[in-house]
Amino acid sequence: MQRRTALIAVMTAVLLMGIVAVGIAKEYVPGTPIVAGFIYVGPIGDYGWTHAQDVARQIVDKEFPWLSTVYVESVAAGDTVSTIDKLVNDRHCNVIFTTSFDFMNGTLAAAKKYPDVIFAHCSGFKRAPNLATYMADFYQVYYLNGLMAGALTKTNKIGYVGAFPIPELKRHISAFAIGVRTVNPKAEVDVRWTEAWENPAAAKEATEALVAAGCDVFAFTQDSPTVVQVAAENGALSFSHYSPMYRFAPKNVISGELVHWDKIYADFLQKIYKGTYTAHNLQNVDYWWLLGQGAVEMGAKPGMPINPVFIDKLKAVTVDDPVLGKIDVYDLIQTRLDQMANPGITYNPFQGPIYDRKGNLEVPKGMWMSVDSLTTMQWAAAGIVGPWPGEP
Amino acid sequence: MGWESWVISTLARALAYGTPLLLGTLGEIYAERSGVLNLGIEGMMIVGAYAAFVVTYKTGQPWLGVLVAAVVGGVFSLIHAFASITLKANQVVSGLALTMLGLGLAGVLGRPWVGLPLFTPFNRITVPILSAIPIIGPGLFTRQCILAYIAMLLVPIMWYILFHTRIGITIRAVGDDPATADSVGINVARVRYLCVIVGGIFAGIAGAYLSIFYRPAWTAGMTGGIGWIVIALTIFAFWNPVYGLVGSYFFAALYFLAYRMQNLMAPSILKAMPYVFAILILILVSRGTLQKRMGAPRALTLPYTRGEE
Amino acid sequence: MQAPKWLNIERRPIPSGRTIFAVSILAIVAALIVMGIFFATYGVSPIRAYGSIIGGALGNWSGFSETLRRMIPLLLCGVGLTIAFRALFWNIGADGQLLLGAVAATGIALFSGLPGPLLLPAMFFGGFAAGALWGVIPAVLKVKLGINDVITTLMMNYIALYVVLWLIHGPWRGPSMRGYAYTDMFPLSARIPTIGQSHVHWPTLVLGIVLAIIAYIFVNRTRSGFETRVVGENPHAARFAGISTLKTVVIAMLISGGLAGIAGVGEVAGVHYQLLDPTQISMGYGFTAIIVAWLARKNPLAVIVTSFFFGVLMAGGDVIKVNLGLPYELINVFNGVIMFFLIGSEVFMNYKISIRRH
Repeated sequence: MQRRTALIAVMTAVLLMGIVAVGIAKEYVPGTPIVAGFIYVGPIGDYGWTHAQDVARQIVDKEFPWLSTVYVESVAAGDTVSTIDKLVNDRHCNVIFTTSFDFMNGTLAAAKKYPDVIFAHCSGFKRAPNLATYMADFYQVYYLNGLMAGALTKTNKIGYVGAFPIPELKRHISAFAIGVRTVNPKAEVDVRWTEAWENPAAAKEATEALVAAGCDVFAFTQDSPTVVQVAAENGALSFSHYSPMYRFAPKNVISGELVHWDKIYADFLQKIYKGTYTAHNLQNVDYWWLLGQGAVEMGAKPGMPINPVFIDKLKAVTVDDPVLGKIDVYDLIQTRLDQMANPGITYNPFQGPIYDRKGNLEVPKGMWMSVDSLTTMQWAAAGIVGPWPGEP
Repeated sequence: MGWESWVISTLARALAYGTPLLLGTLGEIYAERSGVLNLGIEGMMIVGAYAAFVVTYKTGQPWLGVLVAAVVGGVFSLIHAFASITLKANQVVSGLALTMLGLGLAGVLGRPWVGLPLFTPFNRITVPILSAIPIIGPGLFTRQCILAYIAMLLVPIMWYILFHTRIGITIRAVGDDPATADSVGINVARVRYLCVIVGGIFAGIAGAYLSIFYRPAWTAGMTGGIGWIVIALTIFAFWNPVYGLVGSYFFAALYFLAYRMQNLMAPSILKAMPYVFAILILILVSRGTLQKRMGAPRALTLPYTRGEE
Repeated sequence: MQAPKWLNIERRPIPSGRTIFAVSILAIVAALIVMGIFFATYGVSPIRAYGSIIGGALGNWSGFSETLRRMIPLLLCGVGLTIAFRALFWNIGADGQLLLGAVAATGIALFSGLPGPLLLPAMFFGGFAAGALWGVIPAVLKVKLGINDVITTLMMNYIALYVVLWLIHGPWRGPSMRGYAYTDMFPLSARIPTIGQSHVHWPTLVLGIVLAIIAYIFVNRTRSGFETRVVGENPHAARFAGISTLKTVVIAMLISGGLAGIAGVGEVAGVHYQLLDPTQISMGYGFTAIIVAWLARKNPLAVIVTSFFFGVLMAGGDVIKVNLGLPYELINVFNGVIMFFLIGSEVFMNYKISIRRH
């Protein structure tokens, strides 16, 4: 009997602790210091997605005297809520960024648990009054890189080493292929999936498989410079991804995709500091930032849009554009870059008519693809070969 | 681009990706032949990879990097040797702990080295004469790392030592029947220590191959599970260096083909292929050899104390 | 490298539970001292570090609930592994068996069409069956064909991983997941209840404890359990006694794989509510459980204690990462050091060590 009583006492105590643990956080008062917590899916040492996130964190941390930041690496999806518990209760964060799609359900649950804390979730689609979403997307840059790839391939075979067949990658590869085909209607984009964000052996052998299949230009979605290095070893060209990888192969990297998450973080945090954003008005706050907002940049290192080694080669190839007339690829890239980067965007790579690789009309003539259909994209643009799991 | 291209590229990748597998397997074969299972390959490999990268980056000398990686791998394996031989601890657990420790230490120490390209990796070597052989020449003897050829040459040497010299007999005796070995004056602990250290040295060199040749850069967790494949390959090879070579190259070839053939089949199914094949092959070769216990060292995982059996 | 002459090492008969406990505690303390040096080099005072680790893993409910959540899969896998190890079957495939259990549970939760109240029981049963199947294949291969168990269980981990990847990217990808590689969320009736807002799916925890007790009775009080021990400790005697090795090993792996499968059910139905990336489900629990089972000296009841201890370590790892802001790899170093001290201490349990006088 005594034991049972003790057990009941312990369980009651535990439950009471549970009730006490909830609701410690206080609502943020504009103008007071902000403690922002960043939750990363991988290690900072990946030199890819997480590395880029952490670079951005350091930039905003330095920029704003009223801001201090903390971060947590290599957090599993199932640990989202428990990590947020600690960030809120022990490290007193009043703003939390969860920087991977994997954290979506956990972030939503935590947002309900801590209604006074401000959350922002990267690349997801679920929002709440205190939960915004944000994404810096590369599809315009991939299209521009595709223009270069189409001009520079000699074998008409371009390799793409993807991680997982999810909408983000399908959108990027399709934009890339649309660029390639604009310049070079005979070229193909051959895709391989590693099913890992970072695994050097997988990325290396996938690249080698594409080299063996005759590819001579490479783009990729991997959290490491492996593809850049392997391409260069085989005398092939490549585009850098996420982090600046120019220095890994200065003669072989044409351009690439660079991210500036700090632009989004700075904007969001400043608006919280000023009181524009509160824990009550984020239901419709969704950053979908592109070239125009400076959240992404074309290049393999900041400030160098195209590796000078390739500029003349790009100028040597001309295309016939229905609007611009005869134009060399270098000028075409500059024109498109201006059209997409300047306010009042006048060009979109996903501009109809666009047919998928099975011949179905996906974007009608004169239409632009909506953000919603871009973020749920499943089809493969014409010119893509290779496996495409989940193809409609 | 006919079948020749398929064969040549597959051979080339079998050698290139198979080399770290083979190096690790050769070392683990010696450790296990002496009766010590070391599940810490992944840990020893990654500290080797880390050490090799740092040394090569600082000095520009890949050979020095390999040397240091070998030493670091060997020293690191001493932890497992001490725990499992001197302290007679459970080898499975000790090996798992070594893997954790290695991944952790290399991860912590490697932080400042992320994002730095290494421009002084090993040169690619094309072997004269041999590279002129059709198919095999361009496949196996063109533009490979010197370590790949060394690993290949080590196979007959390590096979010969293991099966045709006194040293080999001693090692196998210690792994099969330590009490008898002890009774004829063999220092069981010393032999086991040395074999575990050999395993560490080889794993360290395998790590060096990864970080200064295969993918010359440092990233956290860059061994990516290769150490576990080595554990499987050692058993797959029936603790024989020659089969170790076959298994390593075969696994690497399948791994590569899984990417090469991806446009023909669903990626996940293809990627499971090397693992399915490993089991299927074991089933095929197992018929009728059941009685021989498949060559496993009889005292594998068993600590030895004089006067106990 | 043999023990020096002045040292006398004698085997103790069988260490008592008290000896094991006392020596283990001493080992942990020694490990903590070593790790204290690491913390100090990172500028964190060891006292503060351990204060927040213990406080964070045990001192408040949100930390304690994380300890319990981590304990559940370790307990289930660990209990199963004690049985497998007793039959001398080196099952390092609990990760894969766990994944298969998760797959079966997901299939039943989303596609079986069973009425609500039957869903969870069916998921647990299906998860057990799927894990058991994944465990029995290597058992049969070992006994019938002599194929090494380490290699088959290890390879089957990878195969299970790719089965899950194939399902979430292919046939089972959820229409509501906007193209991402997840299944749809489980219906509410297919979710295991949790304590409050935590992830502690207590029915699985209770089940794990009950199964640990049953396993203990199985091992010590049943004929089958006795046979398992004989096969493990003395295969020759087993053959003479007419004990079927096949039957014994298959039963051991049915239990071991099945319990890992149940752990998988708990992870998808109690934590994630959907099938997702396999590494996010298994989290290496199957490997950690090997250590859990070994620390428990193959005693299923002791697994309750050791799995709790590792739950504390894992939850404490989160504290190192989040509260102390230290590199996450330090957790691996921390666990590695603790384990080496624990296994190193084994010699003090099994052997009496004294200094020779003369």
